[in-house]
Parts: sequence; C-alpha cells; structure tokens
Amino acid sequence: MKKITAFGLALVLTFALTACRGGTAESGAVPSQSEDEEVTVHYGISNSWDALMPYNSVSGSNYARMIYDKIYDRLAYVHADGTLSPRAAKRWENTDEGYAALFYLDENATFHDGTQVTAAHWVETFTLMTDPACPVLGRGNFSVFVGTDQDGCRTDGESFGVEAVDDFTLKLTFKVPTTPEDFLLDKNREFYVLPTHLLEGVDPSVLMELDLWKKPVGSGPCKFVEELPGSQLTLAANQHYHLGAPGFDYLVITVMDKSNLLTALIAGDLDYYAIGGSVSAEDAPLAESSGLTILEGTVPNTFFELMLNGNSIPDARVRRAIELALDKELLCEQSTHGLGTAAGSSISPESPYADAAVTAGERDVEAAKQLLAEAGYDGRRYTLVCTSNRSGLAALMQQNLAEAGINVIIETVDSAAMFAGMSDGTYDMGIASHTPGALPLWFTESRLSSTNNIFHIADLTPYTARIQAIRSETDQSKRLELVAELDTYLAQERPFIPLWFGTALHAQSPTVSNIDYPSSSFSNENVWEWVKE
Amino acid sequence: MAQYIRRRLITAIPVFFGITMLVFLLVDLAPGDLTDLMGEGAASTVEQAAMEAAVGLDQPLPVRYLLWLAGLFRGDLGRSYHYGQDVSHLIVQRIGPSLLLTGTGVVLAVAIAVPLGVAAAWKPKGAWDRLAHLFTISGSAVPGFFLALVAIYLFSVRLGWLPSSGMYRSVGGGDMADLLRHLILPAGVVGVSNVGSILRQTQSACLEVLGEDYIITARAKGLREGVVVVRHALGSALIPVLTSILTHIPHIIGGSVVVERIFGWPGMGSLMFSAVSGRDYNVVMGGTVVMALAVLLTSLLLDVVYGLVDPRVRYGER
Repeated sequence: MKKITAFGLALVLTFALTACRGGTAESGAVPSQSEDEEVTVHYGISNSWDALMPYNSVSGSNYARMIYDKIYDRLAYVHADGTLSPRAAKRWENTDEGYAALFYLDENATFHDGTQVTAAHWVETFTLMTDPACPVLGRGNFSVFVGTDQDGCRTDGESFGVEAVDDFTLKLTFKVPTTPEDFLLDKNREFYVLPTHLLEGVDPSVLMELDLWKKPVGSGPCKFVEELPGSQLTLAANQHYHLGAPGFDYLVITVMDKSNLLTALIAGDLDYYAIGGSVSAEDAPLAESSGLTILEGTVPNTFFELMLNGNSIPDARVRRAIELALDKELLCEQSTHGLGTAAGSSISPESPYADAAVTAGERDVEAAKQLLAEAGYDGRRYTLVCTSNRSGLAALMQQNLAEAGINVIIETVDSAAMFAGMSDGTYDMGIASHTPGALPLWFTESRLSSTNNIFHIADLTPYTARIQAIRSETDQSKRLELVAELDTYLAQERPFIPLWFGTALHAQSPTVSNIDYPSSSFSNENVWEWVKE
Repeated sequence: MAQYIRRRLITAIPVFFGITMLVFLLVDLAPGDLTDLMGEGAASTVEQAAMEAAVGLDQPLPVRYLLWLAGLFRGDLGRSYHYGQDVSHLIVQRIGPSLLLTGTGVVLAVAIAVPLGVAAAWKPKGAWDRLAHLFTISGSAVPGFFLALVAIYLFSVRLGWLPSSGMYRSVGGGDMADLLRHLILPAGVVGVSNVGSILRQTQSACLEVLGEDYIITARAKGLREGVVVVRHALGSALIPVLTSILTHIPHIIGGSVVVERIFGWPGMGSLMFSAVSGRDYNVVMGGTVVMALAVLLTSLLLDVVYGLVDPRVRYGER
C-alpha cells in the first residue's frame, strides 16, 4: 500500500514538473514573475485563431482576423459606421477615371525588426500571394485587381494591377471602377503587408511552411512573443507603432468557453473579450449588477437569414409563402430582446444604400396559404437545419410555418455540417448569421455566383447580370437605382429570406479605456489606443 | 510475466491499427469538412477546391489513410490544417497540462473516495454512509459543466479567491504557486466529478469483503478495527478499486473536454474539441493515436497490477 501511495505521489510530482509552463515551445522574451510591474491586458476569445500567417487562414473567420489585425498592418481602419481612418496608408485617392486608387503610405511605419515598410513590401506581398504556385487561402480576394483571373491568380501576358509608384505610394488598379473607400470597406480586412525582405529566395510553394509564421514578424501594433496554438497567444506592445504605442506592455489572448467570458470579465481575470465584449440582453442585467457598464451598439452587427434550397423548393411562390408565414418581428424579438430590426433585404439599415432596400413586410398567413395553393404545394416535409444554439429559434419557425400548412422537421448539426448540407442540397432550409458589410453587395455577390451557388438557383444569369451592372456603375444615383432593382428582384424570387439585423450590447472593460466597441464587432480593434489604467 | 506482456503487446498491434482505420473512416463519414467552414457559406467552389488540394483532401479515402499511415511509421503525424504546425508538436505541448489537470483531479478523487468508501462500508447507514450517498448521487446527477460554472461563480466572481481561467499568468507568473492557484478550481471539479464512481466501487467491494469469515476471525483474534478494515478488508477489495482507478488513465491523458474548455486549460481535451469542430483531421487522428495507445497500455497495466496486488492471479504459464 505504501509503495502504491509513493508511486502515486511520484506520478503527481512528475505531472507537475512536466506540465509547468505547459510546453510553450514558441516562446520569446516573456518576463518572469519578478517583473510584476508590467502592464498586461488579458483578452478572452471563444474560438481559436488559425496559423499566424494571414493568407493561410483555413476558417477565414473574424477570430483569426482579430489576431492578424494585431500583428500585421492593414491599409486603413474601418469604423462601425463605415467611415475610414488611416492605418498603413495616410490617405488615398481615386485615379485613372475610377479604375485605380493611390494609397499614400505612412513613412513612419516599420516592421517589428526595424525595417521600414515601403510600397515595395505591399507589391511583393500581393505578387507572392497571386502566384499560382503559392498555396494561398482566400486568394479570390485578389481577383478584383487587373492582371488576375477569377480565382485571384496572376495571368500571363497582362500587367499586374498592383504597383509601387514610389517608395511610399501604392497604386491598385481594378477590373471595374472602384472607389478606394468601397475597396477598403469590402476588402480592407483581407489584406496585410508581409515582411517580404525576410522571404527573399523562398520557394512560393513552401511559403506556408516557413518557421517565420511560428514567430511572425509584422508591422502591426503588437509584436509576437509566444504562442500555445489554439490556446494562448502573448503579444507585446509595439512601442514604435506609427499610430502610437498601445497603453500596455503585454496583450495575452486566451481561448476559453463562451460561457466563461463574462464571468471572467466580472471576476477581473479578463480586461476585455472578443468580439467587442458582446453580451446577450439576458446577461446584461447580471453584468450591470456586477459593476460593469453596458453599452448599446451603434450599428447592426449581425444579419440573420434563412437559407433556402432552390432545388427542393423550386417555386418562388412557395419561397415567398415561407417568408409570409414567418413572424419576423416575433423571431427577432425572441432572439435579440428588442435589439434588432426585422429585415426584408440583406442591405444594412445603416448602409448608404439603405433607401434602396426592400422593407420587411407584415406576416400574412392567409396570403401564404393562397400562394401555396397557387403553387400546388403538396404538403411535402422540408428539413430545417440549424446549429444547436438556434434550436429554439427553429422551433418557433416550425410553429409559424405549420400555421400556414408548411411541414418542417428540424435537424440540429454543427456549422460545418450545416453549410455542407446546404451546399450539397441535403437540407431545404438553414438558419445562418453573418457580420454585415456597408456595401450593397456584401452578401449577395459571393453567394449568387457560378462558383458559389449555395441557394441552388437554376439560372443565375438574372442575378449575376444585375450584380455586374451595379459593380460597373460609377454614378451614385444610378447605382442606387440598380441596387433597388436587384433587391426587388430578390424579394420576388426569394432565394434566401432576410430575417433581421441585430445590434450588440457591449460589456465595457472596467480596466481598459479607449476601446472602440462598435468597430470591434467588425473585427477592427484600435488596440494602439487602448490604455490599461 | 515477460512472455505474457510480449503476447499482449503483439495482439494490441492489430487492435491499434483497427482503431485508427475506424476513426479515419468515421471522421470522413462525418458531414461537412474543412472547406465547408470557409467564409460561412461565402467561399467559392474554386477556393474550396484549392484548399482541398492544399491539404490533400482531394485524394481518395484509402490513399489518404495509407499516406497518413506511412507518415505514422516515420513518426510524422502530419500538420494541423488550422495551426499550420506539426501535430506531434501540438500533442507534446498539450499532453502535459492534461496529465497535470486530470491526474491531479483523479488523485484528489481517490483521496476522497477511497477513505470515504471504506468508512461508509464500515458503518452502513451511519454519517459516512450518508455522506458517501450524497457524493455518489451528486457525482452522477450534476454535470461537470454546471459544477465548473458554480465553482467559478463562487470562488472567482463572489469570493475572488481563485482565477477563473488559464493555466498560469503568462506575464509575471508561471511559477509553482501561480500554477497551483490556477489548478485548484479545474482539478477540484474533475476530482469531485470522479468521486462518485470510485467511491461506489470502493464501498461495494469493502461491504462484500467485510462480511467474509476471515474478517470475523480477524476481529475475534482481537485485532484493532482499523487494522481489520484497512489491511484485511481494503487489501482484499483492492482489485475492483484499482480497476476503477486505473481505467481513468486514458481519461487523464485525453483530458477533460468540458472542464478544459470552460477553464481555458490548454490540454488535450480542448485541442480535440477544436480539432473535431474545425474538422482538423490530422489533429483528430493524432489525438486518436495517443488515446488508443493509452487505452491499450492501460489494459495491459491493469493485468500486470492485478498480479502484483493479488498473488493468486497468474499469467497463463503452461
């Protein structure tokens, strides 16, 4: 017995010694406990990021962007209301009759190794990322530039629309007229400048496997210190960031369950959590009673839609009947507790194009029944898919639809299975939410194309033609008309059903000031302005 | 004994490969893959195909399995799709924290359950028995995540005694005291969650033994009650109790998914959770290898320990 006890104790001791400091292999200069005076911001996040190479993000999620945004620099800072502030670029202007944009880069910007950031770095980054031999993820974002194909790969015999005019002027030439503002609103969060001076002579095909991405060097407001992939990332403030040094020494980002974010903030173990300290209306009173201040978002940051399968629901009248049968106001109220607006369009209510948006109609069960009768709906049963956290919402929809005589069964799966099932036509309807953009085509353009027909539309031409017309139109009033026309057509065909736009509540950090909460909902965090008291 | 161990190890080889094959197949059969997570339905088929090609998902299933197997023989578990790092490197980073957390939790559970189980069996219907009953029922009825949230609310939010998440303070921390402060809550939750099963096993095994003739004889000979209970009763009841304890070893290595997620503990459980939900197949397979080895070796260890504890157990020498 004594031997077993001794063995057990030895085992525990071994465990303890093995696990101390938990194998943080990719470590840099982390201060020891003697340096308690270091000011550290503790940042919680519910989903882990991907590889620390911004063009190798498997998920392409906001959680990964939040991390890239700290280590690497973007051209601009996009505020929640769609206005722009300088970041890597001091200013920008249109040129070449709207086909190109000039970005005047900040001469004070430097990489974390001290090298000055120049237009050449941007050009080399974009050139490398559009090289077909380089295994880039999300390369489609580059397809807006002249000299690329629809997949974003550089094409032979055509000059590439990314050039350095001088050391600090970057010229981007687009396939269709695009204002720099629209380009930034659409793509700013997808483009980061890489330290190409450290990539000289590297074979593009092995670029993603470099050790550099385990200890990345960027030009963003924070420097890499150490990472335990998928669990914890420690960054140090970049004291030389050209927009100003962050008001802290270290930023420690820890992945933890969503259920513990608010409690950790209340307990003082966190100073802030992503995304934007978002708190549900149900939890807001608890947060307030615990001494936190709750701030209401200024612009909608979530868009809910009901995806429809045009193969299994081919008749537009049935799709419209589904929309008429849904009580969007009730669904929105249940979900957002008064912090949402029922929608008839994917165009955000705060967008400059909001006037062109179709408004949410009233629920009309009788009209839905009539449309179903006209369409000869045979009472077939549809499968409504959702993630487990939305099963209550799905049940409400099921009741709504049953009142109009539409039979629905609910299937609960995870995100990957839901999108896979919608793509391959397994499911008939699915509930999804997205972070809305300010541009009118933020939702439709990527989902109504020949390379992504998630709604299984038999003939995409009416959509793609209208989308192309909007993209090519430079006159704002004419563009507004075209947007209205597309939206009306969408309301008539209903390939998907817009449900509502929701606005977030933000639990404000009691310890860190100057956080731009509304903009953080759109994966823009002004971390260089954060000050820990 | 050595021959027995050799034989068991040889028979474990096909079982191990059977497990990997089955898991590889199940992972492939699960609806949705890595590419379906791209851009929440906004990714084009071209982008999805490019990603499939980049990570080798465009190959047929048998080819992928054979490639993975070939890598395994070379000691290469592949790269994580999400983190872009070697899976073996990720596992090495995560296994230590899991061993520490769940190992401490199980040691804590044993420290509570074994004495309490013996005491409860010694005086049935007494105070210890009632306490044991309470532990057994609550251990089975209260889910781990609820216990974790209650513990955080009480000890972190209300009392402010202990940190609610993480394994150590990465800046200005990392010493043993800091680690222990972070360990107490999650290990406590793991421990309390496991007390019920070990306690039940200990109590029932002791109850059975305490009714045996040789216990009555021991008492009649005037041995002290403590000696009778601990040396004779618990000693004889040790095999089922050890079985119950040692079957926790795979769990110790694999970590506790719920507790690690809630407490932000960087162990194998949280790694596997992210890998499964993110369809990071190489990480899932790497975790499976570790778990399969743990289960197979635990089974062997159990047999060996039986022999050490109980001389009546023999290893089929002919």
